[in-house]
Amino acid sequence: MKPQSPEETVEYYKHLSLFWTDLIHLMSSKPQALGSTGPMRAFAANSKKVSTELIEINENLMGFNKFLTEYYKQLAETWNEAQKKVNLKAPEVPQDVEQIEAFKRIWIDIFDNDFTELFDSKKFGENYGKLVSKELELTKHWNNITNVILQSVNLPSKEEIDEVYKELHSLKKRITKLEIESKKGKGKNAK
Amino acid sequence: MQSENRIDPKLVEEILKFNKNVIEAPKHVPAPDEIILEVTPHDVALEIDKARLLHYKPLTDKQHKTPLLISYALINRYHILDIQPEKSWVRNLVQQGFDVYMLDWGNPTAMDKYLDFDDYINGYLDGAVEFIKNESSVEKISLQGYCTGATLATAYTTLHPESVKNYIATAPVIDGWRDTTVISNLAKNMDVDKMVETIGNMPPEFMYYCFSVLKPFEQGIEKYVKFFKNIENKKFVDNFLRVEKWLSDTPPIPGELFKQWIKDIYQDNLLIQNKMYVNNSHIDLKKIDMPIFTQVAVGDHLVSPECSMPLHYAVGSEDKTLRMYPTGHVGMIASSLSQKKVLPELGQWLLERS
Repeated sequence: MKPQSPEETVEYYKHLSLFWTDLIHLMSSKPQALGSTGPMRAFAANSKKVSTELIEINENLMGFNKFLTEYYKQLAETWNEAQKKVNLKAPEVPQDVEQIEAFKRIWIDIFDNDFTELFDSKKFGENYGKLVSKELELTKHWNNITNVILQSVNLPSKEEIDEVYKELHSLKKRITKLEIESKKGKGKNAK
Repeated sequence: MQSENRIDPKLVEEILKFNKNVIEAPKHVPAPDEIILEVTPHDVALEIDKARLLHYKPLTDKQHKTPLLISYALINRYHILDIQPEKSWVRNLVQQGFDVYMLDWGNPTAMDKYLDFDDYINGYLDGAVEFIKNESSVEKISLQGYCTGATLATAYTTLHPESVKNYIATAPVIDGWRDTTVISNLAKNMDVDKMVETIGNMPPEFMYYCFSVLKPFEQGIEKYVKFFKNIENKKFVDNFLRVEKWLSDTPPIPGELFKQWIKDIYQDNLLIQNKMYVNNSHIDLKKIDMPIFTQVAVGDHLVSPECSMPLHYAVGSEDKTLRMYPTGHVGMIASSLSQKKVLPELGQWLLERS
């Protein structure tokens, strides 16, 4: 039956759209159900999670590179400054064993002093802290991706294993406490 | 015509000799894996989880009555206190007639990430103290803490003063804000929550990085040049390899313990302010009222003297001694200076109180 009025036309196309949407859904769920116990179903269901993690890894990688560049910049600047100081203190090219020994001593002392000063500085500490923090975020994303793979083969995730560790730790504490109380009780009874 | 830039023949000789030493090194020295670091005979008296209580066998006919328990640091292993016979801290004390025990914290694994200050202080340390008291039939023992082991021992002593007759703090990590070392700078800027949440225990590799930024050129280059130059000096080489082996063997630190240590000591500096809590128990340094001996190394670049010394002034003891030695963090416990000066002074101090 063809639609006669504009209202009927709207209804007709609404029905047509719902019909095919529902039918496609019903048809597509069959192969899904067929593989519901297989590893790929869980993996497919979580593949969106993997994509999200990969996008976020890229964002973090940019931050990580920024702090890594700053880290090497600080090292390079300190190296250059230390070398300038060495050049000022020992301008001559050493010729014999004694001179080389003395030069080496000056070089090591100046470089150790300048680098220790850098490692002690606020700017190094702050940048290094941020660099490690970004590295940890990258690790976190990698852990999340690994969890998707673990779940796809029915293995516990890192968080689930952590829960077991936590429970074990708590149980051990409770047992120790009970053992101490039991010893105290025995002591009292003996008296 | 002779060239003005003649190469010194001694220099050529030095270079050739150095090359020869490098090539022949394997003939002169053992591989680090072939070296056994434990030198003083001992038994494993007690095991609690992965922690072991070592009991050193007596080397004298008579022993002083009060036993001594050493709480070693959390970084590296306990071997540095017994690194070789002529530099062994433990052997020296045993030879002075002391009954010596030492706590080896063991090698924590991933499943130990929830171990915290409470487990170490009220579990392992207290378990060891109670065992020694029972074995020796004494009510109190002498306790020594080294480095981060002294942080634990200090907290223990405030919570269990009734069990400690004498307390010795050797290079203790106490006042994090006053610490002027590179380690403290890194610790203050660390996102320790994220680290523990993401990787669990503090990995040894992180500690190796921290070591590498301490005097990087002296320790990273010159040290090895000296080693090859002295390859025929048996004593030097043996000592070098033992210390190197010790340095390259650091266990992970349990995540929760590491978190509280970094936050409470370096970031918030709670211990010296008497604001620290372990399992809801207040750590009040004034409760340390027994004789206390604080040992500090002037050249310590791991725990600066400014970080250790405040303990001496913060405790409630009337009988307190502070000694400063012209050496470094390891030099104070494993050197000829420690044998000639540090240990005889400690032995005398302990003898008068044991």
